[in-house]
Amino acid sequence: MKQLIELEINGQRQELLVEPHTSLLQCLREQAFLKGAKRGCDSGGCGCCTVLVDGRAVYSCMTLVMSVEGRSITTVEGLSGEGALDPVQQAFIDAGAVQCGYCTCGMMMAARQLLDDNPDPSEEEIRKGIAGNLCRCTGYAKIVEAIRLAASRRQGHSVGEAG
Amino acid sequence: MTEFRTIGRSIPRPDAFDKVTGGKHYPVNVSLPGMLHAKLLRSPLPHARILSIDTSEAERLPGVRAVLVPDEVPRIPLTPVYFTPVQSPTMVQDFVVMSRQVRWAGQPVAAVAADTPEIAEQALELIAVEYEELPTVFDPEEAMAEGAPQLHEHAPGNIAKHEVFSMGDLEQGFAEADHVFEGVYQTQRVHTCYMEPRVCVVDSDTDGRLTVWSSMQHAFGLREKLAFALGIPESRVNVVKPRYIGGGFGGKLDMGFIEPIAALLSRKTGRPVRAEQSRGEDFITTARHPIKVYLRTGVKKDGTFTARHIKSILDAGAHATHGSEVIMVHGLFGTLFPWKCPNQTWEGFAVYTNNMIGGGYRGYGAPQGCFAVESQNDEICEALGLDPIEFRLRNTWREGDPHPAIEGHTLNTYRLEDCLRQGAERIGFGERRPAASGEGTKRRGIGFACHPLWVSGCVGFPDIYEHAGAIVKLNRDATADVVTACVDLGCGQITVLTQIVAEELQLPPESVRLSYADTDIAPFDAPTHASRATYSAGLAVQAAARDARRRLLEAAGHVMGADPQTLVLEEGRVMVRGQPDSARPMAEIIARAEAPWIEVGPEGPVPTTLEEKGTIMGLACQAPPSNPSPVGAEFVEVEVDTETGEVKVLRVVYAHDVGRLLHRSGAEGQVEGGFQQGMGYALMEQMVFDEETGAHLTGDFLDYKIPTAVEMPRSIEAIFIESDEPSGPYGAKSLSEMCLIVPAAAIANAVYNATGARIRDLPITPEKVLRALGKL
Ligand code: FES
Ligand code: FES
Repeated sequence: MKQLIELEINGQRQELLVEPHTSLLQCLREQAFLKGAKRGCDSGGCGCCTVLVDGRAVYSCMTLVMSVEGRSITTVEGLSGEGALDPVQQAFIDAGAVQCGYCTCGMMMAARQLLDDNPDPSEEEIRKGIAGNLCRCTGYAKIVEAIRLAASRRQGHSVGEAG
Repeated sequence: MTEFRTIGRSIPRPDAFDKVTGGKHYPVNVSLPGMLHAKLLRSPLPHARILSIDTSEAERLPGVRAVLVPDEVPRIPLTPVYFTPVQSPTMVQDFVVMSRQVRWAGQPVAAVAADTPEIAEQALELIAVEYEELPTVFDPEEAMAEGAPQLHEHAPGNIAKHEVFSMGDLEQGFAEADHVFEGVYQTQRVHTCYMEPRVCVVDSDTDGRLTVWSSMQHAFGLREKLAFALGIPESRVNVVKPRYIGGGFGGKLDMGFIEPIAALLSRKTGRPVRAEQSRGEDFITTARHPIKVYLRTGVKKDGTFTARHIKSILDAGAHATHGSEVIMVHGLFGTLFPWKCPNQTWEGFAVYTNNMIGGGYRGYGAPQGCFAVESQNDEICEALGLDPIEFRLRNTWREGDPHPAIEGHTLNTYRLEDCLRQGAERIGFGERRPAASGEGTKRRGIGFACHPLWVSGCVGFPDIYEHAGAIVKLNRDATADVVTACVDLGCGQITVLTQIVAEELQLPPESVRLSYADTDIAPFDAPTHASRATYSAGLAVQAAARDARRRLLEAAGHVMGADPQTLVLEEGRVMVRGQPDSARPMAEIIARAEAPWIEVGPEGPVPTTLEEKGTIMGLACQAPPSNPSPVGAEFVEVEVDTETGEVKVLRVVYAHDVGRLLHRSGAEGQVEGGFQQGMGYALMEQMVFDEETGAHLTGDFLDYKIPTAVEMPRSIEAIFIESDEPSGPYGAKSLSEMCLIVPAAAIANAVYNATGARIRDLPITPEKVLRALGKL
């Protein structure tokens, strides 16, 4: 039985007609036409589908859309505001952390939550923070580097603002 | 050394911006109005004959638009492998899209197209199939034995392929040996684990012509195989090249079942049909073949090889497909040619079993070969007390030697010695301690492996596509569009090909764009495989850019009243060499060439005398001139917990003769990612199947573990040696596959150095380590 629910996706309220078994991933990709979250496994094993629900990274493939009714969803499309890339996105480009890119959007969402929780993570903390996200191309070296770079830029940025 | 403008600079990847903002252009995102969704019904039995299929109930389900059963599918046996002709004499043609004869658990036996994937899935459950079960065999050596169930009429004894290569006099060689070493080395079935699933959309036009979007590694290969499987001319199929795909690593190097099935369903319904595989289906679509290698080697006291006998048994699974080529590449480039040994015989078997079909995977038979040979080489050094680096150098090639595999070619650039010495120095190999000399529960060890011959493409085999082609078209705003069918799997072809065109035309890389391409408009290009793309596709793109530059300079000569020979390009301008004042914007010249058939002179409009009027574009269709061998050596430091058996890689140093480094950051990425896959292969990855039913038991990432950021070593250092390969673009040769050929042997050798435990079958699990240490 389809049901009408309301979600806030990337700051915009949206009404969507969904089935009880529809996953958040399905809903984002097929109904909201946001293709940033990717399906890599559909079973909570790869993290390609990672998005933020009220700022917390979740596997959207394992999240029923009904369960996040009324909550605020951020996808990669909501990361960059007004044409400027988020420091995490920019750092992924600059550090050469993108190869095939299929894991990238999910990986960056995990990185965003990590940096929101812990603005200056150690290498070990970064590695643990993205342990739920698989990448098969990069060996993670440049991803870790990118997150470190984003952390230092974000800090530089807020110091600059405070000053 | 030549100064380059763009080559050698780690420019931002042109595809990175799109990929960090959502990644619009993956095949998985392709969607057409009115599109149906296909699902495949797969056999739960590994060996059976289908007696009947009843689809009536499925057809009645609302939303179901078509059902497809084996009898409706043309029975045209072919090889689905992209890089050879469908009827290549060196390949076995035994693959059919759908059949009543089932040979592996997971083989598609019917398909449904419906309004939604969920309805299609539901409909599958309503199809009733009656099977007659047949006896099974899963082990290749059992399959070769007398009395084993026979899988294919054309292959008595289940031998899909049997090949022997010999050089010298083996008996004499063993007679000359001071020592003979023997060992058996076994590798397992692993999956490439590309992150984007295999997916396709096929749209049948009103006249039956097909347009195909697919996540494959080769547009032309798919066109050829699909047309053949359906029994239609190639020109009735247009395959759109994906702008990029979510990984491939060789795992998308053949037509799967979904493309022909979606095509047939689209023809049946007149609607576009999309098919996307689940992760579980992806796992059983392609895998690296397990190979068992029996290795017997004769050496002199000083470590010189006198004889080697190699017998390799490859588990091809239910159909030969890649297996009939992997066994050859494994034998020749994985074991025989890399090492200098005057008397060698290799005998290889690709054997049918009721296991899943194998596929391509980065290294294509060489990782299995390297693991065997380099493990045994280490054993030889250990037993005879030889310096393992000097031992390798004694038994490998030298720069300037004739190419061991390709007649008439020379190893123009070959810096294995530099790789070994520089790698050894960086990791501190000189201070390595004797094997198993550590104390305590956690033991450290250093090991290395090299692979002294590999490819930058496939020149040398008679049957493998190797041609490349490209079109470079100049626009009036001084930008260039590049039409090439070369697919970027993620390894950076978009970047490197952009750099090459930017270099030739002296444009900023932002002014070069790899544009839309499909098999209707692009010239043929071989697949992105065999480490060929930078070398072969790169050379073609370079030639096309040079052709465009020649035409541009001719037009400029006319416009500027100068001899084109005296003109040069610089920063988007054309000028007479050494005369900056003469500079004219490139944009103006291109516009003049495209202007109507008159020019405006001081006296008003005059007819142009420019001969080649119109768009300035360059074209190249060519074979690569050679096949220079890359070489690489990898050193690893591991820590083995002798209580738990767990192996941790602490540090990696990889040295590689790359010819010329075109993009450092991209090249490092190949080394880092290659090691990750190699470490998974060495330590943790293995597809597991039910012994009775053949059902795959590790069909998701919870059961099939690949390395995460936590398991990866904290330090992976790449050393690139630039030998300036004369035949390559700017001196470049290949890189990618080697990064995955060597790690498993390097890790096995390091585990031995740490513990004294020699593990000859992969993966090196804690259990095997403990068993080898006598603790289990
Ligand atoms: S698609 Fe959600 S975790 Fe893999
Ligand atoms: S970049 Fe390909 S999976 Fe991460």
